[in-house]
Amino acid sequence: MPLAELDNLARIGKLKAEPSAASELEGLLRSGTARLADAQRAELNPESRFDLAYNAAHAFSLAALRWHGYRSENRYLVFQTLSHTLKLPAAQWRVLDDAHRKRNLAEYEGVIEVDEALLAALLRVTAELEQRVRALLDAPPGRST
Amino acid sequence: MPKMGIKTAVKKTPTGRTSLSDALFTRTQQRVLGLLFGQPGRSFFATELIGLVGTGSGAVQRELKRLAESGLATVTSVGNQRHYQANPASPLFAPLREIALKTSGLAEPLRAALQPLARRVLAACVYGSVAAGRDTASSDIDLLLVAESMTLEQAHAALEATEQLLARRISVTLYTPAEFRRRKKGGNAFVTKLLAGALIPLLGDIRALG
Repeated sequence: MPLAELDNLARIGKLKAEPSAASELEGLLRSGTARLADAQRAELNPESRFDLAYNAAHAFSLAALRWHGYRSENRYLVFQTLSHTLKLPAAQWRVLDDAHRKRNLAEYEGVIEVDEALLAALLRVTAELEQRVRALLDAPPGRST
Repeated sequence: MPKMGIKTAVKKTPTGRTSLSDALFTRTQQRVLGLLFGQPGRSFFATELIGLVGTGSGAVQRELKRLAESGLATVTSVGNQRHYQANPASPLFAPLREIALKTSGLAEPLRAALQPLARRVLAACVYGSVAAGRDTASSDIDLLLVAESMTLEQAHAALEATEQLLARRISVTLYTPAEFRRRKKGGNAFVTKLLAGALIPLLGDIRALG
């Protein structure tokens, strides 16, 4: 059964309803896993690790949204739906919100200021997303159940 | 039996049992003033304030009526809704804003929220536009935490209820003492700018760290 909250977002045009293909979910998961593994490498620059972890978090979050039968081109919205798609607790969602804002500052104002606490938190939350999305994908796709 | 004798003047030190705002205002006044003067760039519907204050509709309505009648707040009717906002033209605007930021509108709820983590916090302060009084309705509260063995998730979890209480997003920057010292010593742009700007201290003394 589709989630009512996601359905409402689709009705107001924030999300697009579209069934997912298994190959697409696998691709997102593979991309997320590879980036998260590289993000853990302490010999890389914190800025690169931050980018890798951020993109891994996005791939896992998008996989969860696609599993539920929706898509969005808006990265922020993909993160915002995590409280529904993966039942992510608010304190963890806020870390992704912080990371998203930090990334925007970096892209648009050239301010790259990755502090240790944010990188460590992003790595933890992204690993949590991977676990949760893998558990979800073990179940049959959302819109057909 | 009471001790008899000559009374001598003894200076009492603050015990912390009565907060500054408790000494000055009723609970309802604290919350209404805290919201209006804590975020003067924003107007609130009466029903919104009643919901945020949570002490019942009558008490809040009475405060709003007095604030509007005294000119401390402006009231605008939009349809059948009344919007209230701190009045910058009032002669008490600046002092009330300062009181709100140091008490129920900002510092007190933040300090209370950080209390369970206080043993690990070396310093905490509000910086940025709110501290400088240049905040707009959409400005976050910028909070700097210098703390030992704390995660960002723990900081967010501790502040979640306060964000709702203050009806405002709290943006946290968390440093370990070592990272803060390294950045301060290295002349890091963000830390240098922060220390040179206006601050509202919550715990410890950020300027003495390093």
